[in-house]
Amino acid sequence: MTLQLGEKHFTSAQPESAARRIVTFRVGDRTFGIDVGMVREIKGWQATTPLPHAAPHVRGVLNLRGVILAVYDLRTAIGLGVTDATATHVIVVVDVEDKTAGLLVDSVSDIVDVPVSAVRPAPDLERDEHGLIEGLVLLDTDIVALLDLAAVIKDGGDAQARQARAN
Amino acid sequence: MDPLAELKQTFFQECEELLGALEQKLQALDEGSRDPEDVNAAFRAIHSIKGGAGAFGCTELVSFAHVFEASLDHLRSGRVALDDAPFSLFLRCSDAVSDLVAAARNDEPAQARPDLLAALEKVGQAKPDAPAAVSDEPPGIAALGNLLAMVEAKTAAPAASAPAADDGWDDEPVAAVAAPRPGREVCVRINPDSDLFRRVIEPRVVIGSLPDEEIVSVACDMSQVPALEALDVTDCHMRFSVLLRTELPVEEIVAKFDFTLANEEFEVEVMPAAANDDGLDEIAPPPEVPQNVAADLSAILARLGPPVAPLPAAPEPSPAASLAPAAVAPPPVAAPRPAAKPAANDAAAARQRQAVSVRVDLDRIDRLMNLVGEIVITQSMLVECVRSLPYDVYAKTAEGILTLSRQTRELQDHVMAVRAQPVKAVFQRMPRLVRELAQTLGKEVKLVLEGENTEVDKTIIEELADPLTHMIRNSMDHGLETPEERIAAGKNPEGTIRLIAEHRAGRIVISVTDDGRGIGRDRLLAKARSRGLVGADERLAPEEIDQLIFAAGLSTADAVSDISGRGVGMDVVRRNVESLGGRISVDSEPGRGCKFTLALPLTLAVLEGMVIRCGDDRYVIPIASVIETQHLANTPIERLTFGQEVLRWRGEVTPLYRLGAVMGSSGTRDENIIIIAETERGGNVGIAVDEIVGQQQVVVKSLEANYGTVNGASAATILGDGLVALILDVDSMLRLAAAGGRPTAPELKLAG
Repeated sequence: MTLQLGEKHFTSAQPESAARRIVTFRVGDRTFGIDVGMVREIKGWQATTPLPHAAPHVRGVLNLRGVILAVYDLRTAIGLGVTDATATHVIVVVDVEDKTAGLLVDSVSDIVDVPVSAVRPAPDLERDEHGLIEGLVLLDTDIVALLDLAAVIKDGGDAQARQARAN
Repeated sequence: MDPLAELKQTFFQECEELLGALEQKLQALDEGSRDPEDVNAAFRAIHSIKGGAGAFGCTELVSFAHVFEASLDHLRSGRVALDDAPFSLFLRCSDAVSDLVAAARNDEPAQARPDLLAALEKVGQAKPDAPAAVSDEPPGIAALGNLLAMVEAKTAAPAASAPAADDGWDDEPVAAVAAPRPGREVCVRINPDSDLFRRVIEPRVVIGSLPDEEIVSVACDMSQVPALEALDVTDCHMRFSVLLRTELPVEEIVAKFDFTLANEEFEVEVMPAAANDDGLDEIAPPPEVPQNVAADLSAILARLGPPVAPLPAAPEPSPAASLAPAAVAPPPVAAPRPAAKPAANDAAAARQRQAVSVRVDLDRIDRLMNLVGEIVITQSMLVECVRSLPYDVYAKTAEGILTLSRQTRELQDHVMAVRAQPVKAVFQRMPRLVRELAQTLGKEVKLVLEGENTEVDKTIIEELADPLTHMIRNSMDHGLETPEERIAAGKNPEGTIRLIAEHRAGRIVISVTDDGRGIGRDRLLAKARSRGLVGADERLAPEEIDQLIFAAGLSTADAVSDISGRGVGMDVVRRNVESLGGRISVDSEPGRGCKFTLALPLTLAVLEGMVIRCGDDRYVIPIASVIETQHLANTPIERLTFGQEVLRWRGEVTPLYRLGAVMGSSGTRDENIIIIAETERGGNVGIAVDEIVGQQQVVVKSLEANYGTVNGASAATILGDGLVALILDVDSMLRLAAAGGRPTAPELKLAG
């Protein structure tokens, strides 16, 4: 379901033939990417208010010009521990499904155009990434893992509701 | 205003809406809509009007509405095909209902409408299409009858007395010719605007304001009257020429129309003495027109069968005596317009109401509300900022900010008041639902409503209808037994459902209580086990079983009975309620009944909160939930055997929870303060916190919008420093505590 939504977004944002424009960012030594259309803004780290008994990768909520949004620690999501957030860390504000969320990453690297054909499906080892990778893009120097954002935020607040719905 | 009068006022306001709906639906049907829902809606509207009218003793309204409702019911049941239905008659009837409502509202005698009633009675009796024309046009017919009678009288009279035989229509009494009066001839031409009747002005009255004895003749020009089919009887199409022989100066004649006609509606012309007769001839309408009209009328009437008794509804006896020469022209005006007066009253009343209330798009109020919310945040930010200023500057600034905050609060209260509505808007739909369901289910049910005037934000009102409908359906379907079963169980055969609204703990709490059989726990549990929602060897407390009714994938319809077509189950209700920051719970007592309790915030916008701190985290607890605060050190705390801390408060054993532990606050905790808070069920609880930071208005920001439900919190807010604080939800926090810090049951248990 989540993958489907991702695809829908891509096709609507970018015609099949065109290149996908991807924002890449780093967590530790790894590079991730998401479609530029999903990015609403990029802002510096800002203290969050923790939520009681939330999933580990939910850092808490913050106030973005009067709107409350949750910040997800991408490092925790991919199983590399908790980010020790400092002023140099970055929150990528994204639109996922009908929600706005923040993604805590180390830094934003670049915006690259990638032909759609260059996107390879995620290999089976995506299991290691908790099913968060939607595809891979090979750049000259890097392998960019395209994130399935819906999967990243899935275990957040309404996980119960989702699960209930799935039942 | 006494309560009954107030209720009555509300009823009339509702009538406005209902009448609007009625008319709109009938209009749609008249224009070719064949949607049965339109028929149902129209039926519901008149039904509701009738119900309310009965309650307030508006007998005329009730009896008319009853007949109207009955004939609409023919449509609803299909006894009369929609294509054959006389919707124009219905529309006219809806106007008549409107008149009756207006009359009842103004405590005026209601105008009986036997013509419409008779036509309505016919609907569904005779083959509907045959007499359609008759039943369609009763006022028109009545009018025609009157006109015809009048025309005949007039055409006959001159023929007999013959002084003005060339002009059968014109009224040129012999007397006027025989006894010329002193003075000059003045011609007054009256061209009233078509809304003359709606202004509650009758031509007879206009003409009557002229001195009787000086009127030489009155002529009515009907050439502007449209064909019967296009005739709107509330429009005035007649023109009058009045010939006076008078010594009055023109100004005085003009002054006589001060109260009746606008300046452009009449002109006064002094006739040259020599040519006065010619002048009149010019003014007088050509004879062909009235005769044509008369012929038309005769033809139509002949087609329609025997005419309705002429002049059945003339509001007053023909004033022939007082207005001898002029009397003839006005009756056709007066007769077909029995409704003119009420209609005009209605319009006047409507204008008056417009002056005191304005309909505003809810969107605009929402924007206003949001803006106020932002101002509240900005203002609390300002308060934080000025703290660092040197004292002399600070004192002045603080004073200004104090004023600002008072004004902001006032502004906010006013905006909130604009949005507040009594829950009656929703409650009033329920009696009907109960009646209908009772019929369908073959059960006898009495619905008791309490607290209808409890006010709550409009946004919440709109969200109430669905859950309430479901809860009532659930109670009626599964809770209440059939009369036989009830008698067997030693109960009153008539079941009772109580729908109660009240304010409690800063929320609106609405409960639906029935005195039925209660939840069938065994069947519910069996169903849950078969669905794998509850493990085969899992033991659940009776209360926990009851809560299964809200479990996803276990709709009540499946669980307890097999009445189908009921739509969504209680799980959807629960989810909707929770998404609003509300909660729904159920208490059941086998054999005695079942109580659903729905608790919703009063508003989704702003609340008065106490800012508290635990460790490094701050929270806001709605002030409405707080009963009092005390120092922890002064409070003896006992520990029950299973570790639950309790304190004695006002002689009662009250459980104590440490907020930091329950919410998993970060930092080191050092509890100093106990907040005694009220729960929705009316119980009390102690909450231990480190510190009370302050008290302020906070703007409620949804957590669900971009995240999801957070256990222990109903929403979040933004504090003066721009950081987010969670708004505690005492009941949800208690559940979180009961679950030992794990996300609360039953969701997790059932979801897993």
